[in-house]
Order: sequence, then structure tokens, then C-alpha cells
Amino acid sequence: MISVGTPLAPAPRESSMSIAKVRPCLEASGVRKVYGAGTAAPVEAVSTVSFTVPHGQFVAILGPSGCGKSTLLMMVGGLEPVSSGIIIVNGEPMTGPRTSIGIMFQDPTLLPWKSALDNVLFPVRVLKRSISDYREAAWGLLQQVGLHGFEHKRPHELSGGMRQRVAICRTLVYDPEVLLMDEPFSALDAISRDEMNELLLDLWQQLTKTALFVTHSIREAVLLADRVLVMTKRPATIVEDLAVPFARPRSMALGESREFNEICRHLRERIEEGHDRSQALRLGATARRREQAT
Amino acid sequence: MAFLDAGEAVGNGRVLRLVLLPVGFALAAIAIWQILCQALHIPPVLLPPPSDVWTVLRDNYAILFGEALPTLNESIASFVVASLLGVGLAISLTFSAWVREALYPNIIMFQLIPKIALAPLFIVWLGVGETTSIVVAVFIAFFPIVVSSATGLVSTKPEVLRLCQSLTASEWQAFRMVRFPYAVPYIFAGMKVGVTMAMIGVVVGEFITAQHGLGYIIMFAAGASETATVLAAIALLCVIGLGLYGIVGLAEWLVLRFYGGEMPISGVI
Amino acid sequence: MSVEIPAVAPSRSVPAIGSSLRRVRPVVLPIATAAATLLLWQFAAVRLQISAVILPAPVEIAHELWRALPVLISQAGPTALDTLLAFAVAAVLGVGLAVVITYSPLLRDTLYPNLVFFQLVPKVALAPLFVIWLGFGSTSRVAFAAFICFFPVVIAAAAGFAGTDPAALQLCRSLTASEWRCFMLVRFPFALPAIFSGFKVAMTMAVVGVIIGEFISSQAGLGHYILNAGSRLNTADVFAALGVLCALGVGLYGAVALAELGIRRVYGRH
Repeated sequence: MISVGTPLAPAPRESSMSIAKVRPCLEASGVRKVYGAGTAAPVEAVSTVSFTVPHGQFVAILGPSGCGKSTLLMMVGGLEPVSSGIIIVNGEPMTGPRTSIGIMFQDPTLLPWKSALDNVLFPVRVLKRSISDYREAAWGLLQQVGLHGFEHKRPHELSGGMRQRVAICRTLVYDPEVLLMDEPFSALDAISRDEMNELLLDLWQQLTKTALFVTHSIREAVLLADRVLVMTKRPATIVEDLAVPFARPRSMALGESREFNEICRHLRERIEEGHDRSQALRLGATARRREQAT
Repeated sequence: MAFLDAGEAVGNGRVLRLVLLPVGFALAAIAIWQILCQALHIPPVLLPPPSDVWTVLRDNYAILFGEALPTLNESIASFVVASLLGVGLAISLTFSAWVREALYPNIIMFQLIPKIALAPLFIVWLGVGETTSIVVAVFIAFFPIVVSSATGLVSTKPEVLRLCQSLTASEWQAFRMVRFPYAVPYIFAGMKVGVTMAMIGVVVGEFITAQHGLGYIIMFAAGASETATVLAAIALLCVIGLGLYGIVGLAEWLVLRFYGGEMPISGVI
Repeated sequence: MSVEIPAVAPSRSVPAIGSSLRRVRPVVLPIATAAATLLLWQFAAVRLQISAVILPAPVEIAHELWRALPVLISQAGPTALDTLLAFAVAAVLGVGLAVVITYSPLLRDTLYPNLVFFQLVPKVALAPLFVIWLGFGSTSRVAFAAFICFFPVVIAAAAGFAGTDPAALQLCRSLTASEWRCFMLVRFPFALPAIFSGFKVAMTMAVVGVIIGEFISSQAGLGHYILNAGSRLNTADVFAALGVLCALGVGLYGAVALAELGIRRVYGRH
């Protein structure tokens, strides 16, 4: 149950962002998620998480599978209710999904009967805005992610990486302020994943948004983010808040630098510590139960 | 066809083989039938040769086609009604969890009833006429359509629904833009079964009410031991049945083309 | 399933009673609906004095059922027997043909399209033909019902055999097992779910086939009884017989389902 305050200031991309004066974009305090409360075996998926994210920051939430990071993201996005605690985004407590928040999932979930362009314009239709206003922007987004010439292709004609790119465009087309990404590249092969990382790095240079990016890849987290929050399971909470000291624009070559790998090693150790500790807690609990039985 | 793997190259030779073999086999079977009848002097009451059947068709086509019309009309009418009712009920099941939980299990239970056995009941209620045949047919065709459509509408992948939710879409929007389109293959699968069932209902109705239609002709001719006529009427029924199924299949193909070629029945891209 | 709307945060913990009610709802609600329908039916039949010819009250049907039970059960006998026989014939022939089709591409390409064609054709029209060929006895009914339910079995079994995981087959062959052993150890177990789904359809169709046969050619059996009672406008009798027929149908279907469970346990779930 470690409450984390504002991190060491990362190298600001936009000098106009003065963290001290402006209210943070995202504040989570005491957030907890329990499944099956009031039944015989409640499961604590997220165990008292608190952190704040200033505007314009790219935060990675890093942790092993099943540690509750996706659940946390869903709560931030208003798709899951919190069991206790509160999440405030842009000054308003989260009570449900918002159009100022864009969510990207691991599964691109493109509609098979629509072309790439129409898939990108899907949110516009849902939000009942004028298609003609957004068509050019959608087209431009597809160019930006390198899908020139594929605008009228159906999803089954696109590779996995291409579909995720369409999904990125779809998330960006209605210009949400906050981006939540739940392991968007985890289902891709290693090469496609590297391409997507590079794409995201490039895109981020042009976007003025705040992002939360869930991943279980240490390298991906350090490469993409300004700040890494490390989560463990049991208890599912944040054990480390690390500022990534690399200036932007970044390139993929960063992954070979010594400092990069030092940071990765440090994070790996923290994750393993958390794992050992949760093991110890579980063994301790088992031992205690055995003691009480005798 | 289930046996064509995605990777198999379908060259011209293979397509030819796929068409020629079954057709050739069918033609050969008919030829053997003709030869056997003549060679073994099988009594025409038992099994008339194809030539006899053709003679009946040629000489009596006015009557036969005249009786085919009511069968065709009733089949189409009952199929349309069953589809509208079936899809309509399936849609309302989607929107209310209460209605769904109350009705759906009962509908599934109804599936286990040999519904054709209720035909005499419908005769008691509605008398001996074409309404009865239609109602029996609707009753039989309705269930596969509801079950299939409801399955399709309810089993939209949760990931897609979550996407809609994150965009603050309303239930109606999610239904119109996502649930229903994804359910279309299921609806058509149900309708293909439904059209076959509708025809069966009509024919059985005609068997036991013996008023008009090809079913009536079959029963009448069977009673008079005019087997060639029976076969001729059966042939016509087969043509009608295949034709109706083919129309639904064609409609399905067209709609799926509009919805984009490869639409996986289960799974989200 | 409707999309869950997130509650207001922070949410109170859900009371225990509410959640257990929700869990039991899927079972209680359909039963309650059916019960409510029966009650409404009874009420309407009595209050509105609907003629017993049109819609007898459930109580009256139950009464009739009790009275005619021995007769009904004796009539159910021939129907059940014919159904089982037809199903057995169709099952054996169907699976047999499916095996042949699986192992002979030539026969497969020749026969399978014809089988699918026959499945789509209103086979019910051939019922009188079977009577012409085999007379008014049980044989024609069994043959007709077997004819009807043969096709779903072949098609389902063939699909099941063909859809075996090719990796498993390759493994088997790489261990130099004979084709027969490969079949028994790999193809057949893999195809069991498909075969049984075909069996379930076939059992339902067999009942339908026997009933239709009894409609047009019988002096015995539940189908004949229903037709007879209908022509005498003894509607309560019709309902009673229908009830017994339903029980029969459900029982036979259940037997197949049970058999499936048993076989699955032998071969292990997969």
C-alpha cells in the first residue's frame, strides 16, 4: 500500500506544461477492486493504488500477468467500477466511460464488414458527429501510421500489425485527451511489435495527450514511457515509480544503450522481489493457517 | 464445403472433378435405374423407370404445376411469417435480460417436442384448409430461426461490446451497429433450416388434410398405386425445396458480400 | 448479455441477498414463466368457459392423461421401438459411410455433394413411397425414419472425422502407427462431439419420421392415436398423447446425451 507522489520531473516535451500550477490530468487515490465482495471468497484484484499523472505524460504500468494492471486501467477508463477509492480525470471523478478518454485493447476488434477507413470513422458514427468533418482527419491518420493505399481494405486483408494500426487511428480520430492502452502490442510477433513501438514513439512526438500504457514487457515500458509504475500481484499494488531519464525524440537504438539496460535490470529485480514477497506472504499465510489448525 | 482446406489450390482440374463426379454419379444412378427396371421387369407399381416418370410429367404438367402452386405459395408464406416472428422475438430477447431468461429456456424445451405431431391439433383448431398448413409450417419453422438468431445476437464478442461501451454508445447503437451485423450469418443459418422446415410442415399438412397441393397428389396417387405420378410429384417437390433453399442461400451470399466477404461466424477480427 | 454499466464510484459493496437472487434467477424465471402460463391457461379455460374441444383446461388434460395412461403407454411402445430401430440403423450406416468417405477421396467427392443435396430436399415427401414399397407395417416406418435421420449422421460424422487436428494425426503417423490405429486412437475420439451432435439431431428426426409414418400408414402408435383423437375432436386426449410423446422424445434425446457423457468419460474430455 505505497502511496506515490509526483515523480522526478521528466524532461518536459512541452515547456508550457508547468506541473506545479496546473491540476494533474489523472489522480487515483486509494483505488481498490474486490471481486465477489460479500461472498465466501472475495478476490482482491487491485489493492489500494494511488498515483497522479500530470498532463502530457506517458506512463507505463508494468507488471506480470494477472497482477491487476488491466483492471486498474479499466477503472481509470470508467469501464469498471472501483470498490473503494476514487479516480479523478481532468477534475471530474470517473463514473463511467467518457469521450475524452480513448481506450485501445489488445484485440483490435475491427468490424469485418467495414473498410479500414470506415473502421477508423466508427467512433464518429457512434458519437453522432458529422462524418464529412472527420473523413480527412481519418485519411491523414491512416497515412501517418503507414497504411497509405490500404484505406479501403477489409480487416481480413490486413495483417495483425496493420489491424492494430487501424485501431490506433480509430482511437485517435475523435481526439481524446487521455489515451489508455491495454497491452495493445502483446498479441503481435516480435518484429511487428518493434515496428509498433517505433510508430508509437514517432506518433507521440506529434500528440499532446496523456497516456497510460499497460504492458508486461520491461523493455517496451522503458522505451516508450516517461515514467514506469511497477505493479506486483498479491498484493496488487504499485511497488516502484521510476522516472525514465531519456530525452525525446527517442529512437529504437536506445534499446542498446548501457543505461537503458541498467534500468531494465533494475526493474526486473523489483518485479522479482515483488514476486518473492508475494510468495513469502502466501507461504506465511499457509503456515499460519496450519498453526491455528493444530 | 468442409473438405476444402484453405491452403488447397483449387485448380481447374479440381473444380471440374468436384462438379463432374457427383453429377456424373447421379446421372449414372438414374441410368442404372432405367436399365434395371427394363431388364428385371420390375412392376411399375413398385418402381417405375425414369422414362415413365418423365411421361407423367410431360403429359400432366398442367395439373401438376397447378397443384405445385399452392404448395409453393404456402411454403413461402409460412417461411416469411416464421422469419419475421422468429427474428423479431430474437431481437426482443436481446434487449431484456428478464424476458430472455424467462422465455429462452422454454423455447429450447419446445425444440425437443416433435412439433409435427401437433398438426392434428391445429386441424382441430383451424379446420381443414390452407390456413392450417401455413400455421403448422410456421410453428415448425419458427423455432430454429429464433434459436439461431438469438444465439447470434447474444453471443457478440465481449471485446467488441467493450469497445462500444468505451465510446459511450447506447444499447440501441451497440445493437444496430455491432450486434445485429455480427448476428447476420446466424440468422441466415437459422433461415436455411427454417425454409426446409416450412416446406415439411406444408407437405405434412397436405398429407393429412388432403385438400390440394403436391402432398395431396402424392397421397392420392399412392392410394391409387400410380407410383410414377408419386415420383413425378416428389421430383417437383424436390425442385421447389431446392429452389427455395437456393434463394435463401443466394440472399445470404449477397448480404455477406455486402457485409464483406469473409465474415467469421464466431470470432472477431 | 447486456453490457454492464459501471456504477457510481466509489460503490457500496453489493448486498449478499441481491447477488444470490441474481444467481438463482436463470433457473427460477423460466420455470415460473411456464407455471404462470399453465395457471393462466387453467384460469382462462374455466372462467371464459372455452369449449373443451378448442382448449381443454390443464386439469382436464391431466385427468385424461391419468385415465388413458395404460393405453397411451401401450401405444408409446411401438413408436419408441420403431424410433430406436430407425436410429440404430441410421447410426451404424451413417458412421460407416462417413468412415468410407473419409478414407476415399474419390467416394467423398462423388457422394458428399449428393448427400448434402438429399439433406436439403423435403424427404418427408417420400413417406408414401416407402408405404408403397414396404407396405403398411412397421418396416416402412422404420425405413422411412432411418432414411430421414441417416443424412445428419453421415454429414456430422464425416465433418467430425475430417476436422481432426492434423497435427495429432501427423504425430500418430510419425510413430509408425497403422492407419487403423490412427483412426481408433485419434480420429474417432476427436470426432465424437460431432458424431454425437449428429446423433442428437438424428434421434429427434427419427421420432418425427416415425410419427409422420404413423400419420399416413398406421393402425398403432402415438402418431396414429393423436390423429385418431383429433378426428374425434377429443382434444384433451390429443394433448395427453402429445404429453406422452414429448416425454418419449425427451427421454430418447436424453438417452443419447447420457450415452455421450458416458463415452466422453471413457475417452476423456477434450
